[in-house]
Amino acid sequence: MTRTIDNVPNLTPASSRETLEEVVKRSVLLTRLEDLLAWGRSNSIWPFGFGLSCCFVEMATSLTSKYDLARFGSEIIRGTPRESDMIIIAGTMFIKMAPVVQRLYEQVMAPRWVISMGSCANSGGMYDIYSVVQGVDKFLPVDVYVPGCPPNPYAFVEGLNLLQRAVGTERRPLSWVVGPQGVYRAPLPARRDAKRDHRSQATVLRGPDEV
Amino acid sequence: MTGSDVFQDLQREFGPASGFAVQPVRDDVPTIWVPRESVTPVLKFLKNSAPQPYRMLYDLTAIDERKRVHREGQPESDFTLVYHLLSLERNADVRIKAALQGEYPTAASVTNIFPAANWYEREVWDMFGIKFDGHPNLRRILMPPTWEGHPLRKEHPARATEMGPFQMSAERVDREQEALRFHPEEWGMKPRGENSEYLFLNLGPNHPGVHGVIRFLLQLDGEEILDVVPEIGFHHRGAEKMAERQTWHTYIPYTDRIDYLGGSMNNLAYVLAVEKLAGVDVPDRAKVIRIMLSEFFRLASHLVWYGTLAQDLGALSPVFFTFNDRERIFDIVEAITGGRMHPSWFRIGGVAQDLPQGWERLVEDFLRYMPARLREYDMLVLQNRIFKGRTQGIGAFTREEAIEWGMTGPGLRSTGLGWDFRKQRPYGGYDQFEFDIPVGANGDCYDRAVVRVEEMRQSLRIIEQCRKNMPAGPYKSAHPLATPPVKERTMHDIETLIAHFLSVSWGPVIPAGEAFAGIEATKGNNGYYLISDGGIHAYRARIRAPSFPHIQMVPLISRGLIIADLIAILGSVDFVLADVDR
Repeated sequence: MTRTIDNVPNLTPASSRETLEEVVKRSVLLTRLEDLLAWGRSNSIWPFGFGLSCCFVEMATSLTSKYDLARFGSEIIRGTPRESDMIIIAGTMFIKMAPVVQRLYEQVMAPRWVISMGSCANSGGMYDIYSVVQGVDKFLPVDVYVPGCPPNPYAFVEGLNLLQRAVGTERRPLSWVVGPQGVYRAPLPARRDAKRDHRSQATVLRGPDEV
Repeated sequence: MTGSDVFQDLQREFGPASGFAVQPVRDDVPTIWVPRESVTPVLKFLKNSAPQPYRMLYDLTAIDERKRVHREGQPESDFTLVYHLLSLERNADVRIKAALQGEYPTAASVTNIFPAANWYEREVWDMFGIKFDGHPNLRRILMPPTWEGHPLRKEHPARATEMGPFQMSAERVDREQEALRFHPEEWGMKPRGENSEYLFLNLGPNHPGVHGVIRFLLQLDGEEILDVVPEIGFHHRGAEKMAERQTWHTYIPYTDRIDYLGGSMNNLAYVLAVEKLAGVDVPDRAKVIRIMLSEFFRLASHLVWYGTLAQDLGALSPVFFTFNDRERIFDIVEAITGGRMHPSWFRIGGVAQDLPQGWERLVEDFLRYMPARLREYDMLVLQNRIFKGRTQGIGAFTREEAIEWGMTGPGLRSTGLGWDFRKQRPYGGYDQFEFDIPVGANGDCYDRAVVRVEEMRQSLRIIEQCRKNMPAGPYKSAHPLATPPVKERTMHDIETLIAHFLSVSWGPVIPAGEAFAGIEATKGNNGYYLISDGGIHAYRARIRAPSFPHIQMVPLISRGLIIADLIAILGSVDFVLADVDR
C-alpha cells in the first residue's frame, strides 16, 4: 500500500490587499498532524554518542564549526541510547563488540534509525579478518550507508541529510488506535545512480600536481 | 650500537658453554638465542646486574615458525619467544629469543622480572596458545573470552569470510554478554573491606569519557578507586595477521589505521622497516617530505588530544578551536596527498608523488597562523585554574616506574627524561634538523600536557625547516624494490616491463631476514618488527604500539584517586584504541 506524501506547505509572501483567506493562509500553518510530526522528527534527529574507530573522529569533526552539524538539528549528542533517535555505527564492527552494540541498539527508543558510516561498517571494508563482522547489516537494520574510509565529514552530513529526507517522508501511525497501522517509507535510491549523469558530464579533472 | 658487547657480557656471566648464539639480522639489534630454561636468569641479569642494564621490556612477542623456510643458522623451533629489551644508558636494544617445541608449548613467565610482561604474555597466550607458568592471571586479552583458537597460529583462518556467516541470535548476545560479566574474585579483589562493601563499577566499553571502545572495571570504596582492571580487545582488527596476506606494498594502508590519529606517520615506521630488510636507500627529498608530513600529523594528533582533554575536564570551547586548526592541517595534507586521515602516502623507497606546485604557500600560511593559536590555548587551557586543579599532581609516576612499565613518548619525557627516538636514534633524516626535546618534571597529567604542547611548537620548527630547505631531486628511490617503480624504470624494454608488471601486480619480493624500525610516533614509540621469508608478504609482522603498555600502566597511577581523576588520566595518557588492540 502506498500513500501520497505532502510536503510541508510553503508560506507565500504577503501581498498588499489580502483577503481573510489569504491572511489565514499566511499566518496559520495548515498541515496534517502526521506531517507535522514527521517534519519535527526529521529536523531533530538526536544521535547516540557512540563511536567505534577512525570514522568516529570524522563524525565528531562534523560537529565542529567548519561542518556544523547543528544546522540540521543533530548536534545534540546523547549519552544514553534511551534518549537518542539514531545510532551511527562509525567504525569497524568487531566480533567482541557486536553483542554490546546489539544491546545498545535495542535500548534506542523507537522510532530509531541507523547510519552505517564507513567501509568497515558497510561491509567489513578492507578488514576481511577473523575479528571483524563483515558489515553491521549482518545484525542491525541500516537506513543509510555512507561510503568512505573514513568518509569526509561532508559525506557524513550528506548521509544525515538523506536520512532526514527519508524520515520527513516516513509516515507512522499516530497511535495504535488511529488510522492504519504500519510504517510507510519512500524508497531510498542509491546516490550512485542519482549522481551518475552529473558525474559523467565532467570532462576536465583537476590534476594532482597543483594545490 | 653495542651489539657484540651485550653478547660478551652474557658470555662473561654465563660462560661460553651456555648455548647462546647470535643470529644475524638486517637491523642493528643484537639478536641472541638462549635455551628456554635460561630466559629467566638472562633477563634477570640484563635487567639488574649487567653493566648499563636493559631496564625496559620494550616488547614481547612470539613467532609461529612451523611454516618458515629460511631459518638458516637458527636453532630448531616450533614457536619462538622474542623479548625485546631496551637500555636507556646504552641507547641500545637487545633481542633475546628462545625456542619452544611442540604444538602448544609452555614457557616460564617473566612477570616477576618485568611486571610489564603481564599483558604481553597474555597476548602471546591469546594469539599463539603458548602458556606461561607462573603468570598471575593468564587469560585472553584481545579476543572474546568465548573465542576458540589462537589467531596468529598459522592454521587459524585469517579471513572472516572463511569462517562462515556471522549470526547474532538472542542466545549469542546473552552468552557473550554473560562472558563479559566481571567477576572481581578472578582478579583477586575482595568484595568488601573492613568497614564497607565495595562497589564495582563498569566504565565502558561504550563511554564517552574513555575515548573509544575500552572497558575499565573499577573497585570503589565510596568515591575512591581501590583498583582498576582495563579490559581491551574490543578494537582488535587483526592487523598483524593481515600483514601475512597483504603484499609488502598493499599493507601500507593498514598501517595508517593503527594509530588512526597519526596518519602517514604510521607509514613511516613500516616503510623504514621494509627498507631496512630490502636495503633500499631513500633520496633526500623523500626523507624531508616524509618528515614534514609526519610532523603535520603529530600536530593534528596533538590537537585532537588537546581539545578532547580540555573537554573531558569541562572546558567545552577549546575542542572546537583545535579541531578547526586540525582542519587547516588537513587542507594541506589533502592538497599534498589527496587524503585526510589515512593518506597511505609513503612508499617503499620514497613517497607516492612529488609535492604539488604551490605547497610552499600553504605551509607558510599555516606557520604564520599557528603560533598565535597555541599562545591562545595556553591561556585558555594550560593557565586555566580549573585545568590546573584537575591535572597537577594527578596520575603521577616516577621515571623508574615509567621505564619499568614500558612507557615511552611524552609520558616518559614528562618525568624529566629527554628520551626521543628522533634525537637518540635519528631515523629517516631527523639528524639534519634543529629542534629541542621538551621535558617535564613531575610526570603528572599537567606535565604530560605541557610536554605535548611544547612538542607542537617544536613540530612547527621542524616543518619550517622542511619548508626552507626542501632538497631538489627525486621523490622515490631508483632501487629495483621501490614500489611502484619510478616511471623511468618502467616500460622501456622487456626487463623493465616485466619488473614493473611483477612489482605492481604481484608485489615486491623482499629478501629473507628480520628487521625492526622504531619511530617517535604521536603517542610514544611505534615500531615494526618484520620477518620476511623471501616472499611477497611478511611471514610475521609485529607491531610494537605505544598505547598498549600505556594502558597497562593506568591502574598503577589511578589507585587512591577518584573517578573524575581517572578521566583526566585517560585524557592525558593520550591513547588510541586501534593502537592498543591493533
